[in-house]
Amino acid sequence: MSDLSRRSFVKNSAGAAAGMTALGALIASRAEADTKAGSDPVVAYLKDPSSGEISVMTGDREVTVRDPKLAAQIARAAR
Amino acid sequence: MSSHREAPAISKDPVADNTDTYAFVSPDDPSTVTIISNYLPLEAPFGGPNFFEFGDDVRYDIHIDQTGDGEPDITYRFEFNTQVANPNTFLYNTGQIDSIDSPNWNRKQFYSVTRRSHGNEVVLASNLACPPCNIGPASTPDYEALAEEAIHQIGGGRTVFAGQRLEGFYVDLGAIFDLADLRPFQNLHIATMMAAAPGVNATNDFSVHSIALKVPKRELARGGWTPTDPTDRRSVIGVWATASRRQALIREPRTGVSVENGPWVQVSRLGNPLFNEVIVPMGKKDVWNSLPPADDGEFLQYVQHPELAGLLPVLYPGVFGNLAALNAARADLVAILLTGLPSGIVPGFQNYTGKTYADELRLNMAIPPTTTNPSPLGVIGKDLAGFPNGRRVFDDVVTVELRAIAGATYPLVNSNYTPDGAASLITDGLGPNSTRYLSSFPYLGMPQSGYQTAPLAMV
Repeated sequence: MSDLSRRSFVKNSAGAAAGMTALGALIASRAEADTKAGSDPVVAYLKDPSSGEISVMTGDREVTVRDPKLAAQIARAAR
Repeated sequence: MSSHREAPAISKDPVADNTDTYAFVSPDDPSTVTIISNYLPLEAPFGGPNFFEFGDDVRYDIHIDQTGDGEPDITYRFEFNTQVANPNTFLYNTGQIDSIDSPNWNRKQFYSVTRRSHGNEVVLASNLACPPCNIGPASTPDYEALAEEAIHQIGGGRTVFAGQRLEGFYVDLGAIFDLADLRPFQNLHIATMMAAAPGVNATNDFSVHSIALKVPKRELARGGWTPTDPTDRRSVIGVWATASRRQALIREPRTGVSVENGPWVQVSRLGNPLFNEVIVPMGKKDVWNSLPPADDGEFLQYVQHPELAGLLPVLYPGVFGNLAALNAARADLVAILLTGLPSGIVPGFQNYTGKTYADELRLNMAIPPTTTNPSPLGVIGKDLAGFPNGRRVFDDVVTVELRAIAGATYPLVNSNYTPDGAASLITDGLGPNSTRYLSSFPYLGMPQSGYQTAPLAMV
Protein backbone atom coordinates (compact mmCIF):
# COMPACT_ATOMS: atom_id res chain seq x y z
CA MET A 1 0.00 0.00 0.00
CA SER A 2 1.49 3.38 -0.98
CA ASP A 3 1.96 6.19 1.55
CA LEU A 4 -0.63 8.23 -0.27
CA SER A 5 -3.26 5.53 -0.10
CA ARG A 6 -2.33 4.71 3.47
CA ARG A 7 -2.83 8.31 4.56
CA SER A 8 -6.11 8.43 2.72
CA PHE A 9 -7.10 5.13 4.27
CA VAL A 10 -6.33 6.23 7.81
CA LYS A 11 -7.98 9.59 7.33
CA ASN A 12 -11.17 8.10 5.99
CA SER A 13 -11.21 5.31 8.52
CA ALA A 14 -10.73 7.17 11.77
CA GLY A 15 -14.25 8.45 12.22
CA ALA A 16 -15.88 5.11 11.65
CA ALA A 17 -13.43 3.25 13.86
CA ALA A 18 -14.13 5.42 16.87
CA GLY A 19 -17.54 3.90 17.37
CA MET A 20 -16.54 0.29 16.92
CA THR A 21 -13.94 -0.36 19.57
CA ALA A 22 -15.86 -3.34 20.93
CA LEU A 23 -14.59 -5.41 18.04
CA GLY A 24 -11.10 -4.03 18.25
CA ALA A 25 -11.31 -1.69 15.33
CA LEU A 26 -13.56 -2.22 12.39
CA ILE A 27 -13.01 0.47 9.87
CA ALA A 28 -15.03 1.19 6.79
CA SER A 29 -13.85 3.32 3.96
CA ARG A 30 -14.65 4.11 0.40
CA ALA A 31 -11.65 3.08 -1.63
CA GLU A 32 -10.31 5.93 -3.63
CA ALA A 33 -6.76 5.09 -4.50
CA ASP A 34 -6.62 1.31 -4.63
CA THR A 35 -6.83 0.44 -8.29
CA LYS A 36 -7.71 -3.19 -7.58
CA ALA A 37 -10.72 -2.23 -5.51
CA GLY A 38 -11.86 0.38 -8.02
CA SER A 39 -14.89 2.17 -6.65
CA ASP A 40 -16.07 -0.74 -4.53
CA PRO A 41 -16.24 -0.23 -0.77
CA VAL A 42 -13.32 -1.52 1.28
CA VAL A 43 -13.62 -2.78 4.84
CA ALA A 44 -10.59 -3.11 7.08
CA TYR A 45 -10.80 -5.18 10.26
CA LEU A 46 -8.23 -4.92 12.98
CA LYS A 47 -9.11 -7.82 15.27
CA ASP A 48 -6.00 -7.63 17.41
CA PRO A 49 -4.12 -4.32 17.07
CA SER A 50 -1.04 -5.77 18.76
CA SER A 51 -0.63 -8.33 15.98
CA GLY A 52 -0.09 -5.64 13.35
CA GLU A 53 -2.34 -7.59 10.99
CA ILE A 54 -5.15 -5.86 9.15
CA SER A 55 -7.80 -7.82 7.30
CA VAL A 56 -8.83 -5.89 4.20
CA MET A 57 -12.04 -6.95 2.46
CA THR A 58 -13.51 -5.88 -0.83
CA GLY A 59 -16.07 -7.71 -2.92
CA ASP A 60 -15.80 -11.31 -1.81
CA ARG A 61 -12.03 -11.10 -1.33
CA GLU A 62 -10.09 -10.82 1.90
CA VAL A 63 -6.40 -9.96 2.10
CA THR A 64 -4.40 -9.88 5.29
CA VAL A 65 -1.88 -7.04 5.41
CA ARG A 66 0.86 -7.06 8.04
CA ASP A 67 1.72 -3.47 8.85
CA PRO A 68 2.35 -2.82 12.57
CA LYS A 69 2.77 0.91 12.04
CA LEU A 70 -0.54 1.29 10.23
CA ALA A 71 -2.25 -0.99 12.74
CA ALA A 72 -0.97 1.15 15.58
CA GLN A 73 -2.19 4.31 13.83
CA ILE A 74 -5.66 2.84 13.41
CA ALA A 75 -5.75 1.65 16.99
CA ARG A 76 -4.79 5.12 18.22
CA ALA A 77 -7.51 6.66 16.09
CA ALA A 78 -10.04 4.35 17.66
CA ARG A 79 -9.25 5.39 21.22
CA MET B 1 -38.32 -27.81 15.73
CA SER B 2 -36.43 -29.40 12.94
CA SER B 3 -34.12 -26.43 12.76
CA HIS B 4 -36.37 -23.41 13.09
CA ARG B 5 -34.62 -20.76 15.19
CA GLU B 6 -32.50 -23.57 16.62
CA ALA B 7 -29.40 -21.58 17.54
CA PRO B 8 -29.04 -18.22 19.29
CA ALA B 9 -27.46 -16.32 16.41
CA ILE B 10 -29.53 -17.65 13.52
CA SER B 11 -32.75 -17.24 15.49
CA LYS B 12 -32.26 -13.50 14.92
CA ASP B 13 -31.71 -13.88 11.18
CA PRO B 14 -34.75 -15.66 9.70
CA VAL B 15 -33.91 -14.93 6.07
CA ALA B 16 -30.81 -17.10 6.41
CA ASP B 17 -32.30 -19.63 8.82
CA ASN B 18 -32.43 -23.06 7.18
CA THR B 19 -35.44 -24.78 8.76
CA ASP B 20 -35.64 -28.14 7.02
CA THR B 21 -33.84 -30.06 4.32
CA TYR B 22 -35.40 -32.92 2.39
CA ALA B 23 -33.89 -35.38 -0.10
CA PHE B 24 -35.81 -38.23 -1.67
CA VAL B 25 -36.25 -40.14 -4.89
CA SER B 26 -39.08 -38.33 -6.65
CA PRO B 27 -42.12 -40.60 -6.28
CA ASP B 28 -43.63 -39.56 -9.60
CA ASP B 29 -40.32 -39.44 -11.47
CA PRO B 30 -38.06 -42.10 -9.95
CA SER B 31 -35.15 -41.45 -12.27
CA THR B 32 -34.69 -38.19 -10.38
CA VAL B 33 -34.00 -36.98 -6.86
CA THR B 34 -35.72 -33.98 -5.31
CA ILE B 35 -33.94 -31.86 -2.74
CA ILE B 36 -35.73 -29.10 -0.85
CA SER B 37 -34.21 -26.62 1.57
CA ASN B 38 -36.51 -24.32 3.51
CA TYR B 39 -35.83 -20.93 5.06
CA LEU B 40 -37.74 -18.22 6.95
CA PRO B 41 -39.30 -20.13 9.84
CA LEU B 42 -42.88 -19.63 10.96
CA GLU B 43 -44.05 -17.19 8.31
CA ALA B 44 -47.42 -15.91 9.39
CA PRO B 45 -49.74 -15.88 6.36
CA PHE B 46 -50.72 -12.28 7.11
CA GLY B 47 -47.24 -10.98 6.36
CA GLY B 48 -48.00 -7.60 4.83
CA PRO B 49 -47.08 -4.98 4.02
CA ASN B 50 -43.59 -6.43 3.60
CA PHE B 51 -44.33 -9.98 2.61
CA PHE B 52 -41.64 -12.61 3.06
CA GLU B 53 -38.88 -13.13 0.52
CA PHE B 54 -35.40 -14.59 0.18
CA GLY B 55 -32.39 -12.44 1.04
CA ASP B 56 -30.61 -10.77 -1.84
CA ASP B 57 -27.60 -10.65 0.48
CA VAL B 58 -27.69 -14.35 1.34
CA ARG B 59 -26.08 -17.17 -0.60
CA TYR B 60 -28.19 -20.34 -0.47
CA ASP B 61 -26.40 -23.60 -1.21
CA ILE B 62 -27.43 -27.24 -1.52
CA HIS B 63 -24.45 -29.57 -1.14
CA ILE B 64 -23.89 -33.13 -2.29
CA ASP B 65 -21.20 -35.36 -0.81
CA GLN B 66 -20.47 -38.26 -3.17
CA THR B 67 -17.42 -39.64 -1.41
CA GLY B 68 -18.27 -39.62 2.29
CA ASP B 69 -15.62 -37.13 3.38
CA GLY B 70 -18.09 -34.56 4.71
CA GLU B 71 -17.12 -32.02 2.05
CA PRO B 72 -19.22 -31.04 -0.97
CA ASP B 73 -18.48 -32.61 -4.33
CA ILE B 74 -21.37 -30.74 -5.94
CA THR B 75 -22.96 -27.49 -4.83
CA TYR B 76 -26.08 -25.93 -6.30
CA ARG B 77 -26.07 -22.22 -5.50
CA PHE B 78 -29.15 -20.00 -5.50
CA GLU B 79 -28.71 -16.22 -5.55
CA PHE B 80 -31.63 -13.79 -5.49
CA ASN B 81 -32.30 -10.23 -6.55
CA THR B 82 -35.37 -8.15 -5.85
CA GLN B 83 -36.77 -5.65 -8.30
CA VAL B 84 -39.10 -2.88 -7.15
CA ALA B 85 -41.18 -1.43 -9.96
CA ASN B 86 -42.47 1.59 -8.07
CA PRO B 87 -40.68 2.71 -4.90
CA ASN B 88 -43.21 5.50 -4.38
CA THR B 89 -45.96 3.28 -3.03
CA PHE B 90 -46.08 1.28 0.18
CA LEU B 91 -47.96 -1.51 -1.58
CA TYR B 92 -46.59 -4.97 -2.37
CA ASN B 93 -49.17 -5.09 -5.16
CA THR B 94 -51.17 -2.30 -6.68
CA GLY B 95 -53.87 -4.57 -8.08
CA GLN B 96 -54.65 -8.17 -8.74
CA ILE B 97 -51.66 -10.42 -9.52
CA ASP B 98 -52.88 -12.73 -12.27
CA SER B 99 -49.46 -13.83 -13.53
CA ILE B 100 -45.94 -13.75 -12.14
CA ASP B 101 -44.99 -11.00 -14.58
CA SER B 102 -48.03 -8.91 -13.67
CA PRO B 103 -47.25 -5.16 -13.56
CA ASN B 104 -49.48 -5.03 -10.49
CA TRP B 105 -46.89 -6.96 -8.49
CA ASN B 106 -44.57 -4.28 -7.26
CA ARG B 107 -41.84 -6.30 -5.63
CA LYS B 108 -40.71 -9.23 -7.72
CA GLN B 109 -37.86 -11.56 -6.92
CA PHE B 110 -35.63 -13.44 -9.36
CA TYR B 111 -32.79 -15.90 -8.92
CA SER B 112 -29.96 -17.70 -10.60
CA VAL B 113 -28.87 -21.31 -10.20
CA THR B 114 -25.19 -22.19 -10.40
CA ARG B 115 -23.66 -25.65 -10.24
CA ARG B 116 -20.20 -25.97 -8.75
CA SER B 117 -18.17 -29.16 -8.76
CA HIS B 118 -14.47 -29.54 -8.02
CA GLY B 119 -13.59 -26.03 -9.16
CA ASN B 120 -15.87 -25.96 -12.19
CA GLU B 121 -18.72 -23.51 -12.05
CA VAL B 122 -21.61 -23.39 -14.50
CA VAL B 123 -24.56 -21.01 -14.37
CA LEU B 124 -27.49 -23.29 -15.12
CA ALA B 125 -30.12 -20.57 -15.31
CA SER B 126 -30.67 -16.94 -14.39
CA ASN B 127 -33.53 -14.45 -14.08
CA LEU B 128 -35.87 -17.18 -12.89
CA ALA B 129 -39.01 -15.74 -11.38
CA CYS B 130 -40.27 -16.53 -7.89
CA PRO B 131 -44.00 -16.47 -7.20
CA PRO B 132 -45.46 -13.80 -4.92
CA CYS B 133 -46.60 -14.69 -1.45
CA ASN B 134 -50.18 -15.83 -1.10
CA ILE B 135 -51.96 -12.66 -0.05
CA GLY B 136 -55.68 -13.27 -0.41
CA PRO B 137 -58.53 -13.61 -2.90
CA ALA B 138 -58.42 -9.96 -3.94
CA SER B 139 -54.71 -9.95 -4.72
CA THR B 140 -53.81 -13.53 -5.62
CA PRO B 141 -57.12 -15.19 -6.57
CA ASP B 142 -55.50 -18.10 -8.41
CA TYR B 143 -52.42 -18.73 -6.35
CA GLU B 144 -52.01 -22.28 -7.60
CA ALA B 145 -51.58 -20.97 -11.15
CA LEU B 146 -49.01 -18.40 -10.00
CA ALA B 147 -46.99 -21.08 -8.25
CA GLU B 148 -47.22 -23.33 -11.30
CA GLU B 149 -45.74 -20.53 -13.42
CA ALA B 150 -42.78 -20.42 -11.06
CA ILE B 151 -41.78 -24.05 -11.72
CA HIS B 152 -38.91 -23.81 -14.17
CA GLN B 153 -37.33 -26.46 -16.37
CA ILE B 154 -33.69 -25.39 -16.68
CA GLY B 155 -32.26 -28.02 -18.98
CA GLY B 156 -30.45 -31.27 -18.30
CA GLY B 157 -33.60 -32.78 -16.85
CA ARG B 158 -33.49 -30.31 -13.96
CA THR B 159 -36.50 -28.55 -12.45
CA VAL B 160 -36.42 -25.75 -9.89
CA PHE B 161 -38.83 -23.74 -7.77
CA ALA B 162 -38.09 -21.04 -5.22
CA GLY B 163 -40.83 -19.36 -3.26
CA GLN B 164 -43.40 -19.56 -0.52
CA ARG B 165 -44.80 -22.97 0.46
CA LEU B 166 -46.93 -24.36 3.25
CA GLU B 167 -44.81 -25.69 6.11
CA GLY B 168 -44.58 -29.46 5.76
CA PHE B 169 -42.86 -30.16 9.06
CA TYR B 170 -45.19 -30.85 11.97
CA VAL B 171 -44.35 -30.79 15.64
CA ASP B 172 -45.94 -30.07 18.99
CA LEU B 173 -43.49 -27.32 19.72
CA GLY B 174 -45.37 -25.99 22.72
CA ALA B 175 -45.28 -29.35 24.44
CA ILE B 176 -41.76 -30.41 23.56
CA PHE B 177 -40.16 -27.26 24.88
CA ASP B 178 -42.37 -27.28 27.95
CA LEU B 179 -39.99 -29.77 29.59
CA ALA B 180 -40.75 -32.43 26.95
CA ASP B 181 -44.32 -32.67 28.21
CA LEU B 182 -45.58 -34.81 25.33
CA ARG B 183 -49.35 -34.56 25.44
CA PRO B 184 -50.11 -38.23 24.67
CA PHE B 185 -47.98 -39.18 27.69
CA GLN B 186 -48.42 -36.16 29.92
CA ASN B 187 -50.28 -38.30 32.46
CA LEU B 188 -46.87 -39.85 33.14
CA HIS B 189 -44.88 -36.59 33.17
CA ILE B 190 -43.36 -35.62 36.48
CA ALA B 191 -44.44 -31.98 36.32
CA THR B 192 -48.02 -32.04 35.08
CA MET B 193 -49.72 -35.45 35.31
CA MET B 194 -52.59 -34.06 33.21
CA ALA B 195 -54.76 -36.45 31.26
CA ALA B 196 -53.29 -37.68 28.00
CA ALA B 197 -54.28 -35.56 25.02
CA PRO B 198 -53.64 -35.38 21.28
CA GLY B 199 -50.70 -33.39 20.00
CA VAL B 200 -51.07 -29.82 18.75
CA ASN B 201 -49.25 -28.89 15.57
CA ALA B 202 -47.38 -25.66 16.23
CA THR B 203 -46.55 -25.09 12.56
CA ASN B 204 -50.13 -25.38 11.33
CA ASP B 205 -50.95 -22.74 8.70
CA PHE B 206 -47.47 -21.24 8.82
CA SER B 207 -45.37 -21.03 5.69
CA VAL B 208 -41.71 -21.15 4.75
CA HIS B 209 -39.71 -20.18 1.71
CA SER B 210 -38.58 -23.26 -0.18
CA ILE B 211 -35.82 -23.88 -2.66
CA ALA B 212 -36.70 -27.07 -4.52
CA LEU B 213 -34.46 -28.79 -7.03
CA LYS B 214 -35.17 -31.95 -9.01
CA VAL B 215 -32.22 -33.49 -10.84
CA PRO B 216 -31.51 -36.82 -12.55
CA LYS B 217 -29.94 -39.37 -10.22
CA ARG B 218 -27.00 -39.79 -12.58
CA GLU B 219 -26.07 -36.14 -12.01
CA LEU B 220 -25.69 -36.81 -8.29
CA ALA B 221 -24.04 -40.23 -8.26
CA ARG B 222 -20.29 -40.57 -8.34
CA GLY B 223 -18.99 -40.88 -11.89
CA GLY B 224 -22.36 -40.18 -13.50
CA TRP B 225 -23.48 -43.67 -12.62
CA THR B 226 -27.18 -44.52 -12.56
CA PRO B 227 -27.83 -46.10 -9.15
CA THR B 228 -29.68 -49.39 -9.37
CA ASP B 229 -27.97 -51.55 -6.74
CA PRO B 230 -28.80 -50.58 -3.12
CA THR B 231 -25.70 -52.39 -1.87
CA ASP B 232 -23.35 -50.31 -4.03
CA ARG B 233 -21.69 -47.47 -2.08
CA ARG B 234 -22.01 -45.22 -5.11
CA SER B 235 -25.78 -45.31 -4.67
CA VAL B 236 -25.50 -43.25 -1.48
CA ILE B 237 -25.11 -39.50 -1.40
CA GLY B 238 -24.92 -37.11 1.54
CA VAL B 239 -27.04 -33.97 1.34
CA TRP B 240 -27.12 -30.79 3.39
CA ALA B 241 -27.93 -27.13 2.83
CA THR B 242 -26.33 -23.94 4.04
CA ALA B 243 -26.81 -20.20 4.00
CA SER B 244 -23.94 -17.74 3.97
CA ARG B 245 -23.54 -14.02 4.46
CA ARG B 246 -20.73 -11.59 3.79
CA GLN B 247 -18.15 -11.32 6.53
CA ALA B 248 -18.60 -7.58 7.12
CA LEU B 249 -21.70 -5.42 7.43
CA ILE B 250 -21.48 -1.66 7.70
CA ARG B 251 -24.63 0.35 8.31
CA GLU B 252 -24.23 3.79 6.83
CA PRO B 253 -25.89 6.36 9.07
CA ARG B 254 -28.79 8.51 7.91
CA THR B 255 -29.08 6.70 4.57
CA GLY B 256 -30.93 3.45 5.21
CA VAL B 257 -28.11 1.84 3.27
CA SER B 258 -25.89 -1.03 4.38
CA VAL B 259 -22.68 -2.21 2.79
CA GLU B 260 -21.80 -5.90 2.94
CA ASN B 261 -18.35 -6.93 2.07
CA GLY B 262 -15.75 -9.65 2.23
CA PRO B 263 -15.78 -13.43 1.83
CA TRP B 264 -18.96 -15.40 2.29
CA VAL B 265 -19.28 -16.90 5.76
CA GLN B 266 -21.59 -19.80 6.53
CA VAL B 267 -24.23 -18.88 9.12
CA SER B 268 -26.72 -21.75 8.86
CA ARG B 269 -26.50 -25.47 8.10
CA LEU B 270 -28.94 -28.34 8.03
CA GLY B 271 -28.60 -32.02 7.23
CA ASN B 272 -30.47 -34.32 9.58
CA PRO B 273 -33.53 -32.79 11.21
CA LEU B 274 -33.15 -31.76 14.85
CA PHE B 275 -29.39 -32.34 14.97
CA ASN B 276 -28.41 -28.83 15.98
CA GLU B 277 -31.74 -28.39 17.72
CA VAL B 278 -31.61 -31.15 20.32
CA ILE B 279 -28.19 -32.80 20.04
CA VAL B 280 -25.78 -29.87 20.06
CA PRO B 281 -25.63 -27.89 23.34
CA MET B 282 -26.55 -24.21 23.36
CA GLY B 283 -23.00 -22.98 23.76
CA LYS B 284 -21.91 -24.72 20.55
CA LYS B 285 -24.91 -24.25 18.28
CA ASP B 286 -23.62 -21.11 16.60
CA VAL B 287 -20.22 -22.59 15.83
CA TRP B 288 -21.89 -25.77 14.54
CA ASN B 289 -23.80 -23.63 12.05
CA SER B 290 -20.51 -22.23 10.75
CA LEU B 291 -18.79 -25.56 10.09
CA PRO B 292 -18.90 -28.16 7.31
CA PRO B 293 -20.08 -31.70 8.10
CA ALA B 294 -16.46 -32.83 7.85
CA ASP B 295 -15.87 -31.22 11.26
CA ASP B 296 -18.72 -33.01 13.02
CA GLY B 297 -16.33 -35.31 14.85
CA GLU B 298 -16.15 -32.41 17.32
CA PHE B 299 -19.77 -33.15 18.22
CA LEU B 300 -19.52 -36.93 18.44
CA GLN B 301 -19.88 -37.01 22.22
CA TYR B 302 -23.27 -35.30 22.04
CA VAL B 303 -24.54 -37.99 19.68
CA GLN B 304 -23.05 -40.81 21.72
CA HIS B 305 -24.56 -39.44 24.93
CA PRO B 306 -27.53 -37.26 23.98
CA GLU B 307 -28.82 -35.00 26.72
CA LEU B 308 -32.44 -35.91 25.99
CA ALA B 309 -31.77 -39.61 26.66
CA GLY B 310 -30.74 -38.65 30.16
CA LEU B 311 -33.76 -36.41 30.68
CA LEU B 312 -36.51 -38.82 29.60
CA PRO B 313 -36.13 -41.16 32.62
CA VAL B 314 -36.20 -38.15 34.95
CA LEU B 315 -39.21 -36.50 33.33
CA TYR B 316 -41.17 -39.74 33.05
CA PRO B 317 -40.38 -41.60 36.31
CA GLY B 318 -40.57 -45.37 36.05
CA VAL B 319 -41.17 -45.32 32.31
CA PHE B 320 -37.65 -45.44 30.91
CA GLY B 321 -35.83 -47.73 33.33
CA ASN B 322 -33.78 -49.53 30.72
CA LEU B 323 -32.82 -46.28 29.06
CA ALA B 324 -31.68 -44.91 32.41
CA ALA B 325 -29.34 -47.88 32.77
CA LEU B 326 -27.96 -47.53 29.23
CA ASN B 327 -24.65 -45.77 29.73
CA ALA B 328 -22.81 -47.02 26.66
CA ALA B 329 -22.02 -44.75 23.75
CA ARG B 330 -24.99 -44.73 21.39
CA ALA B 331 -23.51 -46.37 18.31
CA ASP B 332 -27.01 -46.60 16.84
CA LEU B 333 -27.42 -42.82 16.85
CA VAL B 334 -23.91 -42.35 15.49
CA ALA B 335 -24.80 -44.62 12.57
CA ILE B 336 -28.17 -42.97 11.93
CA LEU B 337 -26.90 -39.40 12.11
CA LEU B 338 -23.17 -39.35 11.41
CA THR B 339 -22.04 -42.28 9.23
CA GLY B 340 -25.11 -43.95 7.79
CA LEU B 341 -26.22 -47.50 8.45
CA PRO B 342 -23.83 -50.16 7.13
CA SER B 343 -25.09 -53.26 5.34
CA GLY B 344 -26.29 -56.05 7.61
CA ILE B 345 -28.11 -53.86 10.13
CA VAL B 346 -31.44 -53.43 8.35
CA PRO B 347 -32.21 -56.16 5.78
CA GLY B 348 -31.95 -54.88 2.21
CA PHE B 349 -30.69 -51.47 3.22
CA GLN B 350 -27.55 -49.45 3.75
CA ASN B 351 -26.71 -45.78 3.52
CA TYR B 352 -23.18 -45.93 4.87
CA THR B 353 -20.79 -43.29 3.63
CA GLY B 354 -17.66 -44.25 5.54
CA LYS B 355 -15.93 -43.51 8.81
CA THR B 356 -16.04 -39.73 8.62
CA TYR B 357 -18.49 -38.38 11.17
CA ALA B 358 -20.68 -35.95 9.24
CA ASP B 359 -24.24 -34.80 9.79
CA GLU B 360 -25.76 -35.34 6.36
CA LEU B 361 -29.04 -36.65 5.04
CA ARG B 362 -27.86 -39.90 3.48
CA LEU B 363 -29.95 -41.03 0.57
CA ASN B 364 -29.58 -44.43 -1.05
CA MET B 365 -30.84 -43.50 -4.49
CA ALA B 366 -31.23 -47.14 -5.58
CA ILE B 367 -34.06 -47.68 -3.09
CA PRO B 368 -37.24 -47.09 -5.11
CA PRO B 369 -39.86 -44.69 -3.78
CA THR B 370 -42.76 -46.17 -1.85
CA THR B 371 -45.86 -45.08 -3.69
CA THR B 372 -48.46 -47.19 -1.88
CA ASN B 373 -49.06 -46.52 1.81
CA PRO B 374 -45.64 -45.12 2.65
CA SER B 375 -44.91 -45.13 6.37
CA PRO B 376 -44.15 -41.71 7.87
CA LEU B 377 -41.89 -43.58 10.27
CA GLY B 378 -39.56 -44.45 7.39
CA VAL B 379 -37.01 -47.18 8.03
CA ILE B 380 -38.24 -47.94 11.58
CA GLY B 381 -41.69 -48.27 10.02
CA LYS B 382 -40.26 -50.82 7.55
CA ASP B 383 -40.41 -48.30 4.71
CA LEU B 384 -36.87 -48.12 3.36
CA ALA B 385 -37.66 -45.10 1.17
CA GLY B 386 -38.10 -42.80 4.16
CA PHE B 387 -36.03 -41.18 6.87
CA PRO B 388 -33.21 -41.78 7.68
CA ASN B 389 -32.85 -42.86 4.08
CA GLY B 390 -32.93 -39.24 3.05
CA ARG B 391 -36.09 -37.51 4.18
CA ARG B 392 -39.50 -37.10 2.55
CA VAL B 393 -41.73 -34.09 3.14
CA PHE B 394 -44.23 -36.08 5.20
CA ASP B 395 -41.82 -38.16 7.28
CA ASP B 396 -42.51 -38.01 11.02
CA VAL B 397 -38.96 -37.20 11.98
CA VAL B 398 -39.90 -36.01 15.45
CA THR B 399 -41.35 -39.39 16.40
CA VAL B 400 -38.53 -41.31 14.69
CA GLU B 401 -35.84 -39.38 16.52
CA LEU B 402 -37.71 -39.43 19.84
CA ARG B 403 -37.96 -43.21 19.62
CA ALA B 404 -34.35 -43.59 18.53
CA ILE B 405 -33.10 -41.44 21.41
CA ALA B 406 -35.41 -43.32 23.79
CA GLY B 407 -33.55 -46.52 22.90
CA ALA B 408 -35.76 -48.13 20.28
CA THR B 409 -32.89 -48.39 17.79
CA TYR B 410 -30.15 -49.46 20.18
CA PRO B 411 -30.82 -53.19 19.54
CA LEU B 412 -29.58 -52.57 15.99
CA VAL B 413 -26.08 -52.47 17.46
CA ASN B 414 -26.58 -54.49 20.64
CA SER B 415 -29.05 -57.36 20.48
CA ASN B 416 -28.79 -57.89 24.23
CA TYR B 417 -30.50 -54.59 24.97
CA THR B 418 -34.25 -54.59 25.54
CA PRO B 419 -35.84 -51.19 24.91
CA ASP B 420 -38.41 -49.88 27.34
CA GLY B 421 -41.95 -50.49 26.18
CA ALA B 422 -42.48 -46.75 25.85
CA ALA B 423 -39.54 -46.40 23.47
CA SER B 424 -41.54 -47.76 20.58
CA LEU B 425 -44.62 -45.73 21.52
CA ILE B 426 -43.27 -42.31 22.37
CA THR B 427 -44.50 -39.57 20.06
CA ASP B 428 -45.60 -35.96 20.17
CA GLY B 429 -48.96 -37.20 18.95
CA LEU B 430 -48.92 -35.85 15.42
CA GLY B 431 -48.85 -37.34 11.96
CA PRO B 432 -48.77 -36.05 8.42
CA ASN B 433 -51.85 -34.31 7.12
CA SER B 434 -52.05 -35.38 3.49
CA THR B 435 -53.73 -32.13 2.49
CA ARG B 436 -50.49 -30.30 3.26
CA TYR B 437 -48.53 -31.98 0.47
CA LEU B 438 -48.56 -32.29 -3.30
CA SER B 439 -48.07 -35.52 -5.23
CA SER B 440 -45.71 -33.80 -7.66
CA PHE B 441 -42.93 -31.22 -7.63
CA PRO B 442 -42.39 -29.19 -5.47
CA TYR B 443 -44.28 -31.58 -3.16
CA LEU B 444 -44.87 -29.03 -0.37
CA GLY B 445 -48.39 -27.65 -0.43
CA MET B 446 -49.84 -24.29 -1.29
CA PRO B 447 -49.34 -21.64 1.40
CA GLN B 448 -52.34 -20.24 3.18
CA SER B 449 -53.30 -16.70 2.33
CA GLY B 450 -53.36 -14.04 5.00
CA TYR B 451 -56.95 -13.13 4.29
CA GLN B 452 -58.13 -16.71 4.79
CA THR B 453 -56.19 -17.49 7.99
CA ALA B 454 -57.15 -16.74 11.56
CA PRO B 455 -54.48 -15.88 14.14
CA LEU B 456 -53.38 -18.47 16.67
CA ALA B 457 -55.88 -19.65 19.28
CA MET B 458 -55.59 -21.17 22.76
CA VAL B 459 -55.83 -24.95 23.05
